[in-house]
Amino acid sequence: MTETQDQDPFMAKRLRLAGTLIALGLVVEGLSLSWNHPLSFVAFLSIGGLLLFLGIVVYLTALVSPRRT
Amino acid sequence: MPAAAVFAVLLITLVIVCLLVARPAITVARGGKVLAFLGLFIFPVLTGLLGFEDHVERSKETKFCLSCHIMEPYGKSLYIDDKSYIPAVHFQNNRVPRDQACYTCHTDYTLYTGGFNAKFRGLHHIYAQYIGKPQQPVKLYHPFNNRECLHCHLGARNFEEGATHAALMDDIKSNKMSCVGSGCHDMVHNASQVDGLKKWSPQQ
Repeated sequence: MTETQDQDPFMAKRLRLAGTLIALGLVVEGLSLSWNHPLSFVAFLSIGGLLLFLGIVVYLTALVSPRRT
Repeated sequence: MPAAAVFAVLLITLVIVCLLVARPAITVARGGKVLAFLGLFIFPVLTGLLGFEDHVERSKETKFCLSCHIMEPYGKSLYIDDKSYIPAVHFQNNRVPRDQACYTCHTDYTLYTGGFNAKFRGLHHIYAQYIGKPQQPVKLYHPFNNRECLHCHLGARNFEEGATHAALMDDIKSNKMSCVGSGCHDMVHNASQVDGLKKWSPQQ
């Protein structure tokens, strides 16, 4: 409970957003890895890769953002 | 790395990420911060790299190349029942691995070598296949490089001791004389006429 009370809402929101983007990217990459086709490679790079990249950027920018109270 | 291992890393990453999405409060503790850094940065990067490597490896498979409709005649040409057809005789006699037959003789395809332009051509192939109009007949961007033959034949006794090859070795190595375009081994895929030719059936 103490942890919940100390959680920065801004950080929690960013973590959820980053996690959601990364989870979606992982699902796309997992699906593309189960299909051996040129289009699956394109989907892996363009959709999965983009979602992972965005999720990581959201997480890293949240880490370096000034703490909001 | 085996595909199962890539999926295992992906699943572990997904579990950590889902945990962080469901309970972001765990990142208040030091251990949670480490878990978040692993789950939202290290593991996704690792998964992406491993997945990319897996995709590149699988793109070397014959069935990957032949999954495009335009390549079907080239796949059929591997089964032509005629010893004068170089790709067919290599494929049928296991002189190239059957599951990587295309890649073994075309190692310079866009994905594996070349700079940005080569990769862009690869994307253009996909565009032409699914949205545009593929160029018929399919042509190589550059003349076939003898390197593709020599990476197996060079050093082989029956190749180097053959009088014809020995006499022309310098020209063959320097690509002054093409293995497949100088009247020596020039019967390659012949894709436009492949349907009318007798085929070999592995079940026979």
